[in-house]
Amino acid sequence: MGSLKSLECEYPIIDSDFQNFCASHGIFSVEDILIHDLYMLVAFAEQQSTSERLKQGITQILSIIDGQHQPWLNGMELLEDAQQNKQVLSTGCEGIDMLLHGGLCVGHLTELVGPSSAGKTQICLKVASGVATRYMGGVVFIDTGNSFSPLRIAHFINQIPDTIFKEVKQNILEKVMSQILCHSVFDIFAMLDVVHQLEYSLRSQVQTGADQVRLLIVDSISSLITPILGGSGSHGRALMISAGFLLKKLAHEHNLAVVVTNHMVGGEGGILKPALGESWKSIPHVRLLLSRDPGSSICHMSILKHSYMASGRAARFMI
Amino acid sequence: MAARGWICTDESAKEMLSRVSAERSLMLLPPLHRVPLRLGNVVEIAGPSPSAKTQILIQAAVYCILPKEWRGVHYGGLEHLVMFIDLDCRFDILCLSQSLKHRLMETSGSGNKVNWEQNDDPWGSGTEEPNIGYDEELFAACMRRFLYIRCYDSFEFLATLKTLRYRLQRARETHGVTAHFLMIDSIGAFYWVDRASTSLHLESNSRKRLSLQSISETVVEEIRKLLLVHPMLVLATKATILGDTYSTNEVKRTSMKLSSNDPSNLRTVTGGPQKLSYREFMPLVWQSFVTHRILVRAADDDPANSKYQSRSIFLSEWLMPSLNFSDKFIVRDAGVFVVS
Repeated sequence: MGSLKSLECEYPIIDSDFQNFCASHGIFSVEDILIHDLYMLVAFAEQQSTSERLKQGITQILSIIDGQHQPWLNGMELLEDAQQNKQVLSTGCEGIDMLLHGGLCVGHLTELVGPSSAGKTQICLKVASGVATRYMGGVVFIDTGNSFSPLRIAHFINQIPDTIFKEVKQNILEKVMSQILCHSVFDIFAMLDVVHQLEYSLRSQVQTGADQVRLLIVDSISSLITPILGGSGSHGRALMISAGFLLKKLAHEHNLAVVVTNHMVGGEGGILKPALGESWKSIPHVRLLLSRDPGSSICHMSILKHSYMASGRAARFMI
Repeated sequence: MAARGWICTDESAKEMLSRVSAERSLMLLPPLHRVPLRLGNVVEIAGPSPSAKTQILIQAAVYCILPKEWRGVHYGGLEHLVMFIDLDCRFDILCLSQSLKHRLMETSGSGNKVNWEQNDDPWGSGTEEPNIGYDEELFAACMRRFLYIRCYDSFEFLATLKTLRYRLQRARETHGVTAHFLMIDSIGAFYWVDRASTSLHLESNSRKRLSLQSISETVVEEIRKLLLVHPMLVLATKATILGDTYSTNEVKRTSMKLSSNDPSNLRTVTGGPQKLSYREFMPLVWQSFVTHRILVRAADDDPANSKYQSRSIFLSEWLMPSLNFSDKFIVRDAGVFVVS
């Protein structure tokens, strides 16, 4: 969207006369049009001597606006898209796959919450190696705390049993490792930058088959957002919500699974609750709670929220 | 082209008659069943996330897209279009299609009737279709009556609303029926973003500023005008985005009493001054546009309710009109059911 002036060369009907008419009503851009009452504007146009031409201009603007939203789809078209593009990605961890009926949903934003040392990063690394190995698909790992460990990933890949020969194993390892891209970011703006770049590259090159990016991991998103929250201003929350919508848009439009991690804070009565507050709660499709008994290597995962599964179901597994 | 709609005549006398005669009250399914609703009403379903708000919308959508009758079988639906505007971008079409399939199978009663109580997850094996016990053609016809759009920001939402009238006319031409429900999930999705955008515009005074206020005003104005020519029931969800700072004690007290294993005192607890916690955040222009408001939330986990297995129990309460009692309901694959 832009100023009316910039539309002039593409749409000759939006000439200087029309622009002056709009300017006299405080309209300079398409955004201004959106918050104005067009019925009133048409009524004003009718009082002018060049009313026909002005009305044509308004019609033109409306059809421009009509191109500014996503397309309307009916239920069958949605179902087709869901069946073709929104598969379930196996995580390579049986416990999680069982709990989620197959794994992570493409198009969904999945949030992992848990206290520190519950195994959030371990699961992220495991899922990254699992998806890269099984689907030979690209994985983008946004690391905010220098916790990305290529050694750990190599360890997970080497666990795959059916590779007997050392050379084959080495070959697979190299291939899989090259599929996982890690970006270290330390503030929300750097993260948005990476995500925007990813979106741009996904949009400009139609990727198919093996090299297609399948998974985006942000570990942890809360460490980027927490510093900008607080205070009475709404800008921090606005950034948080925008980042959430950007991730959801990326997931849906480019058929990725997105995983973010969030930490826990003390709520009322000392009970731990997920950080980032109420506004963030409505962002993820799926919210999974992770915990681990001290000293034990068994993780406990339960569903706090899911778009179609009952919450409260749980699984125990070892990484 | 899009503008042709609002320049030409609105409707003929015949259309008006059919419109007016259609404006009788609708019988919606629980938990919306307590209050008679008519086309033109604006119902707000408020509650924290997750509280089955979208489920309630899906259930209402299924009711709207189902036919009244099909090949001699009575389905009791409205056979009209649903316009679903998804601002949360979390809608899953599989929820709707599963829910619809359940209804079709239930009604046609053909053969394999599954026991919903025990069948915990029909999703188990992913894409595998259940043994077909419903009419594929009817299913497709119903699904096509469900029209969906997602918006990633307020501009897209406004652009959608500005061109919705034209869209409705086109939809009526293709489907031969009008839209009865307009659903918005959820209305406060861009609250923070819009609130922050206010201070970005500090230029001339004559220019209408882009702000939460002006966006909400435009949204309300557009829907209001739309309803004059296309009467629809507006169902909007609203997620609670503000934590409770004052009402903490009340919430605790309520939850303690609720879990006291005595369902009979439920109504008195949530009635009276201790309502379910609720804080308004939308601008006044939206608040005054809403004609009905229902509050939903998850009931506190109570092991005594093991007869519903792991299913969450939700509470609903009408705030507008104010009915001083609440319903308990659970969400199953086949829809929303009131319990106790």
